Amino acid sequence: MSSESTATDPILPQATDLPPEALALVPPEEKIRLSITTDIKLDGLYGSAWLVATDKRLLAFSPDGSGPPDIVDLPLTEVRSLEIQDLYGSGALKARTQTTGQTVALFSKTLNAQFAPLPEELEKLVRQARPIADDEKILRGRIDRSYLKRRCERCGQVIPRRMGVCPSCLESSKLLNRFLAYSVPYWPLAAASLTILLLGTFIGLTPPLLLRTLIDDVLTPASTSAATAVGLPLLGPTSPSGALAYLVVGLLLINVSRNALGAVRSYLLARLGEQITFDLRRQVYRHLHRLSLNFYNDRDTGRIMASVTHDVGRLQDFLSDGLQETIRNVLTIIIICSLLFYLNAELAAYVLLPTPLIVLVTIRFGKLLHRIYTPLWRRWAGISALLADVIPGVRVVKAFAQEHREVDKFESRSQSLLEGELRAARTRSLFSPLMSFLTSLGTLIIWWVGGNKVLGQSMSLGEFIAFTSYMWQFYGPVESLCRLNHRFQRAATSAERVFEVLDSQPDVDDHPGAGQLPAIDGRVEFRNVSFAYEAGKPVISDLSFTVEPGEMIGLAGHSGAGKSTLINLICRFYEVDEGAVLVDGRDIREVQLRSLRDQVGVVLQEPFLFNGSVADNIAYGKPEASLNEIIAAAMAANAHDFICALPDGYDSLVGERAVRLSGGERQRLSIARAILRDPRVLILDEATASMDTETEAQIQEALARLVKGRTTFAIAHRLSTLRNADRLFIIEKGRLEEMGTHDELVSLDGIYARLVHMQTEMSRIRAL
Amino acid sequence: MKKPYALTDELNLLDAGTTYLYRDEFDDLVVKIAEAEPVCNVRVVRCFPISAGGRFIALHDNKDEELGVIADINALDSDSREVLADALARTYFRPQITAVYAITEEHHIPRWQVATDRGSRTFEIRSSRRDIRVLPQGRVLIRDADGNQYEIVDYRRLDSASLALVENQV
Repeated sequence: MSSESTATDPILPQATDLPPEALALVPPEEKIRLSITTDIKLDGLYGSAWLVATDKRLLAFSPDGSGPPDIVDLPLTEVRSLEIQDLYGSGALKARTQTTGQTVALFSKTLNAQFAPLPEELEKLVRQARPIADDEKILRGRIDRSYLKRRCERCGQVIPRRMGVCPSCLESSKLLNRFLAYSVPYWPLAAASLTILLLGTFIGLTPPLLLRTLIDDVLTPASTSAATAVGLPLLGPTSPSGALAYLVVGLLLINVSRNALGAVRSYLLARLGEQITFDLRRQVYRHLHRLSLNFYNDRDTGRIMASVTHDVGRLQDFLSDGLQETIRNVLTIIIICSLLFYLNAELAAYVLLPTPLIVLVTIRFGKLLHRIYTPLWRRWAGISALLADVIPGVRVVKAFAQEHREVDKFESRSQSLLEGELRAARTRSLFSPLMSFLTSLGTLIIWWVGGNKVLGQSMSLGEFIAFTSYMWQFYGPVESLCRLNHRFQRAATSAERVFEVLDSQPDVDDHPGAGQLPAIDGRVEFRNVSFAYEAGKPVISDLSFTVEPGEMIGLAGHSGAGKSTLINLICRFYEVDEGAVLVDGRDIREVQLRSLRDQVGVVLQEPFLFNGSVADNIAYGKPEASLNEIIAAAMAANAHDFICALPDGYDSLVGERAVRLSGGERQRLSIARAILRDPRVLILDEATASMDTETEAQIQEALARLVKGRTTFAIAHRLSTLRNADRLFIIEKGRLEEMGTHDELVSLDGIYARLVHMQTEMSRIRAL
Repeated sequence: MKKPYALTDELNLLDAGTTYLYRDEFDDLVVKIAEAEPVCNVRVVRCFPISAGGRFIALHDNKDEELGVIADINALDSDSREVLADALARTYFRPQITAVYAITEEHHIPRWQVATDRGSRTFEIRSSRRDIRVLPQGRVLIRDADGNQYEIVDYRRLDSASLALVENQV
């Protein structure tokens, strides 16, 4: 066993289709460590080429049509750099030695996933072949990984954009079973609905049998029998008119009970569906709030919202509509089939003959319609996209006087939609009659074969009529079952998306045994903290500092330096990868999330207000606050005056569809919201970034009150806003590069001094 | 006398007569602009990769700073032109589809089997609406699920079998 060697060597990619010519290039004493097949040859044409690395050399073998293959043979000891180039539409791997440089592999973006780890593996081989100094950089460039998520991790299939889940790996029956398991708590309801469904279907199919009795036994009494008495079950012999009355009453009873059962059934099933979806929706929404920010960062908001509304709704639809229809259809088909065979086995066999043809044509027709309508939907979407684009931008259209052009654009799209609609209409008008002709085939057969039987006296007229009416009821369920797969698939897709949410685990969660964080003083400490949103791209590296209670810290640095991430870590929106964040000496992972966030107040750049009154918004973090406290908070935030000027004062509605507040006003409300909570640690993330100077002054004043006696972290691009800070932290590439007061840092003449200088320049330009 | 300001003064155009491009021994692109020192390892960026591939080509140094823009590749001397055309072809890999053999659809993902000027190829498209771009004169740009790009110069002039297949998708 080679367990020893696999323990030391990770499994490197090995091409399985290396041609013998390429193998011949490898000297017998060297071992192939890595090999990979690419899909673009070194001459730039599509085709297989190979890259092979042994302990000693890097080989590229690229066949070149009729000519000799392109071969690159580089001893590893000479390799000075390996560069992966992410080009437009392809990628390339370039190797350089002391004196030359060569492209050793070209590959399409389809192979990005395979090539992404390759340079690092090659670097290891180079390192084994020759010593590399610590400061010598061999690797250059990187591959864009954003496309990698587009294929299923399990099977490599492309994931459709609308679905977000891999259709090939979708295990419909498993998912739907899991969904149906939600009905278990309501089993009496489910059982009752099912029983009524069965009963109703059965009763609904009896009228043709009555019709048979009516015709055969009542309306046309057998001529051979002189007696006029008619034998009916339960009633014994009776006169034809009595029998007629009996049948009419029977039909009446059947119709009454069928409809009554239908009403009860539809109510019970709707209730079952509503109950289950209520449970599911509640569970999904609760779970969404348990999930960490990471979950939200990876997905778009619309998709998440759709899983609560659209997907859950579709599952309900499936349960209360699709599923019951399926059961009823299957049942109807079985009952009709057995009745037909019971009535006349021979004729039944004839009649069912065209069924496979109808199934086939229905499925074909469905596919054809899909093919015709897809481009049509696309054109429709084009028109809606145009509207969604132009109507909100109508001010720009008018300002540049481009109305005529927009009208032309719309008309040309309308025109192409018209053409598509006409083409679809042609196909539809051709195929719909064909479908109804096919379904009438069964009747034709009955008329011919059955009619002959009636003439030949081997079948009664009543049986014939009953047969015909069963036929009419037969094809509807068959056609509907043909569309079943599509329906199930759609429901399964929704189920998958819903369960994907439910199956996601929060990255940040209370650890078992996590205790309450007692009222804190506000000492915040970072101990060798490292963090990356995406493995391999550290945003915070080995960061350490201590902030004393009541201290105000200004965070500055270039955008993307890691300032907001630092704040996210204090709030524990994310878990640190290494090191620890401590509040009052306690690791924040060891305490309950709620008790931590209760003592942290946040004011963000974009003050988000919820639909509700001004008072509701101020008291958002402390719903039990008294009116006194609310007004006091508003006053402290310099918001009281403008609130009182609103027609409904503190009761004015704010949010999407209500009073339009200015950015500064909204910001002051969000400051009041933070003050009311009386947090020990306060975070100001660009709180005044988008304000004009006067508004900023008002907000600054409010903030000055807010920060008093609290540990404060303030991020600001405009450095003048950080003048009051006790200390400034200058963050650069996730590291604390400079620390001190404004004056200290200016005299240090480093990054901060440069930033200050640049901003002075900027304001000079602005003053122009 | 001071020249009046013209918007085109903003352009950082290179003088085609004094700009030379060549490959060094590392197979890297080098540009020599007028009397300045040659700049190694230059990257080419098309300003109009779709509508005007041969015009307005920006040259970037290895720190991604723009050195200047070549307004028209044809104004360069023939050696430089050849080197630049080759660099563009290496950087912008967008094969031209010459025939479409089949488009099959599975789970709403169209899979195209095509012939291109670079050989035959099979690829999948995630969303026909977003990833297929139809331009005037029947030009079609396609981006597949992995980010590869393809082009049909004029789909209306494809053979009839290909045309029927493509028409259903655009």
